Amino acid sequence: MVEFEKTIGICHLLLSNPCRGDFVEAQVIIKDITKTYILSKKQQKIERVKDKRKVAVNGLSFTAYKGEIYGLLGPNGAGKTTALRCISTLIKPDSGDIIVNGHSVITDPEGVRQSIGFLTSDLQLEAFFTPNYLFDYFARLRGVTEDIIKERKKQLFEKFGIDRFAEVKVGELSTGMRQKVQIAISLLHDPAVIVFDEPTNGLDVLTAKVVTDYLTELKNEGKTIIISTHIFSVVEKICDRVGIIINGKLLLTETIDEAGGTEANLENQFFELVASESEEA
Amino acid sequence: MKNVLTIFKKEWDRVIKDKRLLFSVMILPGLMIFIIYSFMGTAMTSLSAPDPGNIAIVNPTEGFTSIYALPDNENIDNIITIAASEIPTYMTLVDQGEWDLIIVFPANIESNLVDGYQATADIYYNGNESQSQTIYQVYRGYLDIYGKALSYQLYEDTTVLLYNVGTQPIDEKKLMGTIMATLLPMLVVMFLFSGAMAIGPESIAGEKERGTMATLLVTPVKRSQIAMGKVASLGVLSLLSAISSFIGIITSFPKLFGEDIDFLSIYGIGEYAMILGLLFSTVFVIVGVISVVSAYAKNLKEAGTLITPIYLLTIIIGISSIFGEGANASWWFYLIPIYNTVQSLIAVLTFDPNITMYMMITVMANLVFTALLIVLLNRMFNSEKIMFSK
Repeated sequence: MVEFEKTIGICHLLLSNPCRGDFVEAQVIIKDITKTYILSKKQQKIERVKDKRKVAVNGLSFTAYKGEIYGLLGPNGAGKTTALRCISTLIKPDSGDIIVNGHSVITDPEGVRQSIGFLTSDLQLEAFFTPNYLFDYFARLRGVTEDIIKERKKQLFEKFGIDRFAEVKVGELSTGMRQKVQIAISLLHDPAVIVFDEPTNGLDVLTAKVVTDYLTELKNEGKTIIISTHIFSVVEKICDRVGIIINGKLLLTETIDEAGGTEANLENQFFELVASESEEA
Repeated sequence: MKNVLTIFKKEWDRVIKDKRLLFSVMILPGLMIFIIYSFMGTAMTSLSAPDPGNIAIVNPTEGFTSIYALPDNENIDNIITIAASEIPTYMTLVDQGEWDLIIVFPANIESNLVDGYQATADIYYNGNESQSQTIYQVYRGYLDIYGKALSYQLYEDTTVLLYNVGTQPIDEKKLMGTIMATLLPMLVVMFLFSGAMAIGPESIAGEKERGTMATLLVTPVKRSQIAMGKVASLGVLSLLSAISSFIGIITSFPKLFGEDIDFLSIYGIGEYAMILGLLFSTVFVIVGVISVVSAYAKNLKEAGTLITPIYLLTIIIGISSIFGEGANASWWFYLIPIYNTVQSLIAVLTFDPNITMYMMITVMANLVFTALLIVLLNRMFNSEKIMFSK
């Protein structure tokens, strides 16, 4: 993997993509980030730990390139969501930096937010409003012009079958349709970088397929996509590279081929890493 | 600015397009106040004006009749003359609560007045019946006057001490203003706060709890713009809610104080403009406080719990208008938010000559506090510990 630590400053980097072998733009560069939470007494009790500090992400570094899907694979509580929340600027890393499309999460969070389409279960839409209203609202907040709003709405609503429900209040939609609306809204500004936390969680197989197919389509359009998941089949099916994260540390980054190319091989490798990490702990 | 307006519009639509919320925030407060105050007014009127009494008089005199039948007394009581032989019957009726009062004058009391004669009138009423008691009090007053009149007729003097009272002619405007200043500042502050309370926590703590705030925070909009958009929309909505309450108060005044008192016409456009200016500057301070507390709270429930003591404190400050005598004369008191509004409202309503100075200090102080609260809210929106605490 390329030594991105040598790169200094905020710029678009041409790095060798280990997946494709050619020189492509590095869109997301995560540089040695660490994030520690202070646990409340209640949380300490729940997690059965004595230490008040919990290191959620520990020296995490990886790069995601233009035109690839990078999958962060890990068990619950491994630090996947924390890492993605740091990329989206919802939270700040304690140390290290993340460069998204040339913008630093530390010095230019607004620039990062403009370049990114972020989806996580933490983000919800107001139940009172309709998909139509919310699409316009968030598009205006992102500075999208009225013409483009119309065009993008038509495109995304058609893609996810939201048209028929455009005037139905979000609170009255099914979970799957709500997730689709959420995805459409996160992509309304045609972002260069897409960060989805567990994008198929809670979806039926048909909806999940629509989502994964669309992510592949976006990848082919040259978007950079980072997803977190604990579903091996999703990684195997759509990701170009996978990073395995356990206890906040990235233990492995490799292409799907390097990981064995199949869901079973990936699974074996993952469980071996989990076992060795548990022994060390 | 465009983003502030976009957020403002969304918050506005959230209330205006929700019929239930619109009813509970904009119409219900005014309607409830109107109903409650009208009911209070009706109850007070019925208390101060008892039902017509039933009075039986034995040997009625012209002098006594001329007192209770004066045009000012508006006597509507049922007064009958009975014979001495009927007294036991009417006494039984009084005991049973079916009659209120019996007055027995000695026969020919007025023509029998001579030196040394002491007339005795017998009165009978039922102390266990409030109506009988009230009628007794009223007629006791008439009897006292009548007694003095008879004494004067007899001795040409009724008392050893005479009063000679000198007073300025009553300035009705000032009098009504003082009545208004006793009640209105407290009510205004209460309604501004309750209006903001109805929507503020929902807009911030509620959104935080449901995760819709996080969706807003991942947009490139500056946190300060989010804070300004929220405070501005909540301010305007709360003000409308307060105006609804205000209309409720004003329309219920005739019922509360009497149909013939016109409170509204004693103030001119200048006074109304000042009241509106005060309300406008105060509502943003209140919304700012509620927003900061809501942002700090982990959820809607906690926000409600934290805001309640502040609301009670506001009411206590509002009550100061009842106990004070006019507006506070020390200028620095007008730097204290909420208290300054109460005092400035008193000054406006009582035509205080220093009102311009009080108004300026109050509005400036409120603007500074609002700005500080927005800065604080902006910081809180930037704090992941506050925004994402579980």
